[in-house]
Amino acid sequence: MHSMVCHMVNTDIFAKLELELRRGVVVLAALSQLRTPRYGYELRQSLADKGMPIEEGTLYPLLRRLETQGLLKSEWKVEDGSPRRYYALNADGRKLLKKLTESWQGMNEAVSRLTNEEG
Amino acid sequence: MNANEVIESYINDVAVLLPRKQRNDVAFELRALLGEELQGRAEAAGRAADAPMALELLQGFGRPRDMAARYRSPLTIIDPADGRSFLRAASIGMALIWAAGLLELLQRPADAAGGLLGALAQWWTGAVVASLWWPGLLVVGYGLACWIRQRRPQAPEWVPRKSDRIYGGRVALVMAIFGMAAGIFLLVHPHWILDTAFGGRAAPAAYQALTYTDGFLRFQAPCLLLLLLLNIPLFVAVLLKGHWSTGLRGLQIGLSVIMCAMLAWIVFDGPVMMTARSDQTAKSLVMLIVVITLVDMGIKLYRRVSPAPR
Repeated sequence: MHSMVCHMVNTDIFAKLELELRRGVVVLAALSQLRTPRYGYELRQSLADKGMPIEEGTLYPLLRRLETQGLLKSEWKVEDGSPRRYYALNADGRKLLKKLTESWQGMNEAVSRLTNEEG
Repeated sequence: MNANEVIESYINDVAVLLPRKQRNDVAFELRALLGEELQGRAEAAGRAADAPMALELLQGFGRPRDMAARYRSPLTIIDPADGRSFLRAASIGMALIWAAGLLELLQRPADAAGGLLGALAQWWTGAVVASLWWPGLLVVGYGLACWIRQRRPQAPEWVPRKSDRIYGGRVALVMAIFGMAAGIFLLVHPHWILDTAFGGRAAPAAYQALTYTDGFLRFQAPCLLLLLLLNIPLFVAVLLKGHWSTGLRGLQIGLSVIMCAMLAWIVFDGPVMMTARSDQTAKSLVMLIVVITLVDMGIKLYRRVSPAPR
């Protein structure tokens, strides 16, 4: 019984911490795929194919927020008869992506060194 | 309902919660995206999309309220750093208001309240429901603090402070000593105010109201005067030292405890002033001083930090 409760607590803690980790990289992952214009569903598929699945309910509003923050430009296009809103990085978005990428790489290297240290 | 109707219902519930200027555009985009998501699921399942499939898809998106909230930047009214202090201030304040209401009710004649249920109803409307102004006021205060911090994040910088510092500095302490001396003078010569304000021509009833009883003057008054006078050398010592040393702080706490006990004795013992009204007023003020002193000591004790391993 005790081990079952511990397991549930650990699973819960893991889920929360993993969610926090993912939250930190979702913006970077999405921006990285918007160097060329993409619409929401296409972007989600692209991220999932590259091993970064993001929930629909998280990604679609995120695109709007990034546009409101002045990092993305968007336009409606009609392709195959369906109107789709395409998003792409603007100049500010490209600058931010560069800075975020450098920062992420630095953190990633540091964390790799830390987690690979033999205790 | 078919799959399209389920999706339309969801889109409507999300869009209605969004700002008017982006409502229709987001609804149009969401409809296209949900359509493609549903189509993708139907293809993966190898069957036509139906209402249960649409519902399952929408459950992954979350409730319309949550989904709509994600379209906008998070709005913080109370800074998360202030959350616990807000809760504590709200709880303590409301508890005090409820207790004061209960005390007021208990002091009324039993038949005036209209029985126990009537009394409880009066307490509920007069104290419990009415106390909601307090958390409302706190929300406004904390909300303003949060708004200022967001707009000027550099403004309230932390500055180190010595724990034994004199609050308000030496000037405040000098003023406190003078204030204390003036207060003691007024306690010793309560008629001085009447003499000064009315040139000695105030009504005899006024003089009687500000006259101590013989019982009080015989023993309690000298003891109280001694305790009050002891504060002056203590504060002068702090002034000369420039800070509160451990010994001086201990002396102050000890003096405060003795003073509270002395004042409580005065309140619960015989009359202090010659008239019933002035006696009641004086005792109410003394009781208030005791309560404030004890609360202050309690808060200081609660907030004391003594780093030690557990």
